[in-house]
Amino acid sequence: MKRALAFGLLAIVMGAGAAQAAGPKVGIGPYGGYNIALIQQDTGNGAVYGIRAPINLIPLITVEPYYASSNLGNVDETFGGLSYTRTGFDMKAFGATAILGSLGGGGLKFYPYAGIGSYKLERTGSEEIKETGYNFGLGIGIPAGPKISVQARGGLDMIVTGDTSRKFANATIGINYNLMSGK
Amino acid sequence: MKNLRWIVPALLLAVAAPGCVLVSGQFLIDFNLPNFDASTDTAVSREDVDLTTESDYQDHKNDLKGLSDVAVLGKITNSGAADIGVEIWMTAAGTTYSTPTQVTTNGTKLWGPFNLSAGATKQVGWDESAKLFSSTGKALLINEIKGDGQFTIYAIANAGTYSFNVDDGVLALVIDFGK
Repeated sequence: MKRALAFGLLAIVMGAGAAQAAGPKVGIGPYGGYNIALIQQDTGNGAVYGIRAPINLIPLITVEPYYASSNLGNVDETFGGLSYTRTGFDMKAFGATAILGSLGGGGLKFYPYAGIGSYKLERTGSEEIKETGYNFGLGIGIPAGPKISVQARGGLDMIVTGDTSRKFANATIGINYNLMSGK
Repeated sequence: MKNLRWIVPALLLAVAAPGCVLVSGQFLIDFNLPNFDASTDTAVSREDVDLTTESDYQDHKNDLKGLSDVAVLGKITNSGAADIGVEIWMTAAGTTYSTPTQVTTNGTKLWGPFNLSAGATKQVGWDESAKLFSSTGKALLINEIKGDGQFTIYAIANAGTYSFNVDDGVLALVIDFGK
């Protein structure tokens, strides 16, 4: 047990040392996809797009600042025989995501991710929602060239609003371009 | 790296634990209002609202956390000779006021004014309606929704004399619930 712990600590120290020696890996990439409003009867689904900048400082973790924007769809309902439309939210978010592993280099990569951000939801006739949100999910990285990879992700965004939350399942696809390869 | 794979489930648990915000949502409840005429020639028009008659409200009553969105909908016709602004007032308890003055003195303005020129008929838009709620009225409405779900609403106009009628009226509530 002690030997395993010692080997583990040695591996982490060596890994961190190697990363420092190699320098950070920095990428950037746009992405787009679709948000599905979960258990929300007052707003629809809609496209999401944004930009991410993964920074890999140590071998095990990549930190990825992001910005996202989503135009959620309208809700159409009929009451008393009359049709009504409620405009969906415009959602904007920025924050950072932690990814297990790195996005660039090597072959096909599967990775879990989790993050935290500031979310703002606006629409006419509603008080602005500006709250902390969380995101988590799974991603796949597919190499598409020496410096480029395709990133496909499926996850959940959850904006905490007091005792409740607004949740969105999402699927996105984007590219990651390595600005600094760490060599 | 495998040793760190607990991070995602741990984060999920940490997020879910306080108040279980994961098990929550926003439900739309519509309360139909009967067609009615409102005029200064007669007693004010009122409706006793009892949300407990709505199954969605009953199903989630114990999990209610707040009011996410609200709208007064329907088709309003100004049958009078003057331009008017239609208003909805409410009282927390069941009341039977008969004059606009009694209503505005003792009640809380919930919604309006919805401006309508003489002789015009207009369907209230959902977005437009959501903007017309007063903050004090909305707060009182939230209290009632989280309380017994029973209150009285009055329809009047901000003019000395008025006459209008409301068809296919609906009170649409989007309620936050959470386990």
